[in-house]
Amino acid sequence: MASKVQEIGKLISGSLLSGLEAKLNEDINVEGISVGRLVIVDGKENKFFCLLKDVSLEATNEDILLNPPSDDFARQVHAGVNTFYKLSVQPMLITAQNPTDLDRPRPSTTVPPHFSPVCEASAEDVSLIFGSPAVTNPEIGSPIFMDVPVCLNLERFCKRSNAIFGKSGSGKSVLTRMVLGYLIKSDMAINLVFDMHNEYGWSATNEGGIDDPSLKQLLGSKVAIFTVDSNSPLYRKIRADYDVQIPYGAIEIADLELAAGELGLTQAGIETMYRLSDKWGEDRWLARFLDMDIDDFPQVVEDLKVNEQALNKLRRCLDRLKKLPFIRKEVADDTVNRIMDFIQDGKHIVFQFGRYNSMLAYILVANILTRRLHKLYVDKTDSARAEGVDGPKPLVVTIEEAHKFLDPQVARQTTFGTIAREMRKYNMVLLLIDQRPSGIDDEVLSQVGTRIIGDLGDERDINAVLTGLPSQGTLKVLINNLEPRQFLLTGFALPMPVVIDAKDYGKFCSEISLGSGIILDEIERRKTVDGLKARVFGDDEIIFD
Amino acid sequence: MSERIGEIIEVYTTRFLAQADGLDNPPHFGSFVKTESQGMAIYGLVYNVHETSIDPSRRAVAFGIERTELFKRQPQIAEFLKIEFEAAIIGFNDAGYTRAYLPPFPPRIHSFVYPCEKQEVLDLTEDLEFIRSINALPGLPIEELAAASIRLACAEREGDRAFLVRAGQEIAQLLKDEYEKARSIIRRISDGE
Repeated sequence: MASKVQEIGKLISGSLLSGLEAKLNEDINVEGISVGRLVIVDGKENKFFCLLKDVSLEATNEDILLNPPSDDFARQVHAGVNTFYKLSVQPMLITAQNPTDLDRPRPSTTVPPHFSPVCEASAEDVSLIFGSPAVTNPEIGSPIFMDVPVCLNLERFCKRSNAIFGKSGSGKSVLTRMVLGYLIKSDMAINLVFDMHNEYGWSATNEGGIDDPSLKQLLGSKVAIFTVDSNSPLYRKIRADYDVQIPYGAIEIADLELAAGELGLTQAGIETMYRLSDKWGEDRWLARFLDMDIDDFPQVVEDLKVNEQALNKLRRCLDRLKKLPFIRKEVADDTVNRIMDFIQDGKHIVFQFGRYNSMLAYILVANILTRRLHKLYVDKTDSARAEGVDGPKPLVVTIEEAHKFLDPQVARQTTFGTIAREMRKYNMVLLLIDQRPSGIDDEVLSQVGTRIIGDLGDERDINAVLTGLPSQGTLKVLINNLEPRQFLLTGFALPMPVVIDAKDYGKFCSEISLGSGIILDEIERRKTVDGLKARVFGDDEIIFD
Repeated sequence: MSERIGEIIEVYTTRFLAQADGLDNPPHFGSFVKTESQGMAIYGLVYNVHETSIDPSRRAVAFGIERTELFKRQPQIAEFLKIEFEAAIIGFNDAGYTRAYLPPFPPRIHSFVYPCEKQEVLDLTEDLEFIRSINALPGLPIEELAAASIRLACAEREGDRAFLVRAGQEIAQLLKDEYEKARSIIRRISDGE
C-alpha cells in the first residue's frame, strides 16, 4: 500500500514541551491544511509522529502588514518571503527511520533537528502506529483526510474503564455500536449494555430516520436481549431473550438515594427509609411500606418515632415505583443469576427498557443489577484467586447517561464509582457513554483508560473530558474542531491521540455480520422463546420480519 | 557574434564605461552587454547612458531646430557628439560556464562591447543572482535598473509568468528589510500583468 508522501514544510523552531513549529512550503495551499492531521517529521535517525495543532499567519516585516500587497502578483511574490504560514505540531511518538519488527513507536523524548522535513503521514506510518486491522484490532475509522485504517487495540481497551463522549448528533451512538460490535465479535470480553434509548438491540433509527441494523440483528445468537417490558409491541415482534423482574427485596436504600432526583426524595425521606429498614428488615421494609394502608400511618409514626409528614411524603414518592410493573413483590427467577448463566455461556446482554425508558427505571435497574453482579464478580474472582484458577470472564458494562451514576455527590458510594476506580481488579470494567461529561466525578474521569471524544459544545464538558490527560491544550483545539462523525481517540488503547472520521456504518455491518446462518438461528431462537411464552401466556401471533 | 555597439574607455572592478559606436543605436537602459577580454566573456548591465560633447571643455549649445533637421543642415555637429554608457559587471563566462558573480579581473580598455545573445541572457538571469550584485553597488538607480533588467529577461522568455514571480520573490527576499523599495520594484515588473 505504497503512497506518495508530500513534504508540507520545514521545521524551524519549538520544543518538546510546547510543540514544534514548521514553515509551510510555498507550494502548499494553506486551506488544505487542517488541525488534527497526522504529520511526520523526518529526523536524521528517527521519525517523529506528530499531531497538527495549529496553523498561523506570519510576516517577517511589520511594513507589509501596514501596506498589504494590492494585487495577486504581489501577494504571490511576497508569499514565502515576507509572509508565510506556520504550522504548530505536537510530537507524540518516535520510531527509528527503518524500524524492525521489534521497534514499536515509543513516546517522544527529544526533538528532530532544525529544518527537518515535515510530511503528511503515509498509509505505512499510520499502520505502523495503529497496527493492521484484525479481529482484536478492528478498524474503527480513518485519520481525517486519509483513507487508512485506524485500529483500536481491544486487548488494551478491555483492561481499563473507557468512555465515549459526545453531544447528541455527534455520531456517538453509532460509534458505540461499532465498538460494542467489535468487542462482541472478538470475544475479548462479555458485554452487558444498559441500553436506555433502544439503540443497541435489534435495530436503531439513524439521523435520516431509517432503521439501521443493530447488534442483535448483526450478531444473532451471540447477543441476548433482556427487557423489563416484554409486552411492548417491539418485543412481540423481535422476542426478547429474557423478561426481567426485580423483587422489592432487591432494592436497597442506596439505589433509591441514587434516584432521589427522579423520585423527588428529600433528606428527611431518606432518613425515614433508614429508620423503616432498621425496624422492618432490609429486604422487607419496602414491600411492607408500599402495601400499608395510609390509615395505619399514625401507628407507624408512634412505633418508629418518625415524622408523619415525612412518612406521607415518602409514600407519595415511593408510590412511583408501583408504576414500574417489572418491580414486583415476588419474582419467579433471579435476573442476576440468569445474567451470570448467559455470561458463562459467552453471550452478550443488551438490557432494554421498552416503554419504561424513564430515568427512574433506568437508574434503578442498572444500579441494582450492576451492584449484585459486582458482588458476584468480586466473590468469584477472589475464590478463583484462592484456588489458583481463572476468574470469571472479563465483563464490560456499558452505561448511558453515565453522569447520573458518577456524579461527584454519589460516585464515591455507587457501584459504578467503585468499578471505575478499582479498574479491572475484578475483571469488570465500564464503558461510559455520556453527553454531559462535566457531570462525572473527576476522580472517575482520571481513571478512564481510553476516551473516544466526539463533538462537545460546552467548554466545561471539554475541560472535563481532558481531565488527567497530557497535552491538554493541543487536544482541546482538536475537540473544538470536531465535526459530526469525527472523533478524537486518546488513551490506553491508542499509541497516540488521533482524530478520525468514524467508519461507515454500512461497512461495519457487512464486516461484522455473521452471514445468512444468522437468519435461521434467529428463527429458531424466536420459536423457542415463543414456545416458552405459549406455555405461559397461550398462543400468540408469530411475526417474522 | 552580433554587431558591436561600443568600446570600453574606462574600467573598474565592478563596472566599465564604454563609448557607443555612433549616435544611432545606444544600448538600452537595463540591457545586458558583453565584452571579450583575456579569453573570457564578461557581462555587464547597462545602468547609465549619456550623450555629450566630445570635447569636455566645449558644451553643446541649443540651436532651436529639431535634431534630425539640424543634422541634415549641419552634419558636422554630429561629429562633435558622442554617446557613452556605463555597465555594472554582473558575471562572466569561463570555459563555457556562465557565472553570475564578479570576474577575477575587469575587461581591458579598448575591448569592444556587444549586446548579449538570447541564450546568454537566459543563462545569466536564470538564478537572478545578478540582482544581488547590482544592489551591492553604490549609486545605481537600483529600483529602476532591477525592474528594467527583469522586464527584459522576461521578454527573452516570451513573458514567462513563473519567471516573473521568481524574480519578484528574489527581490522581496533581497530587500526584505526595505519593504517599500521591494514593493516599488515589484509594482514596476508587474506593470501590464
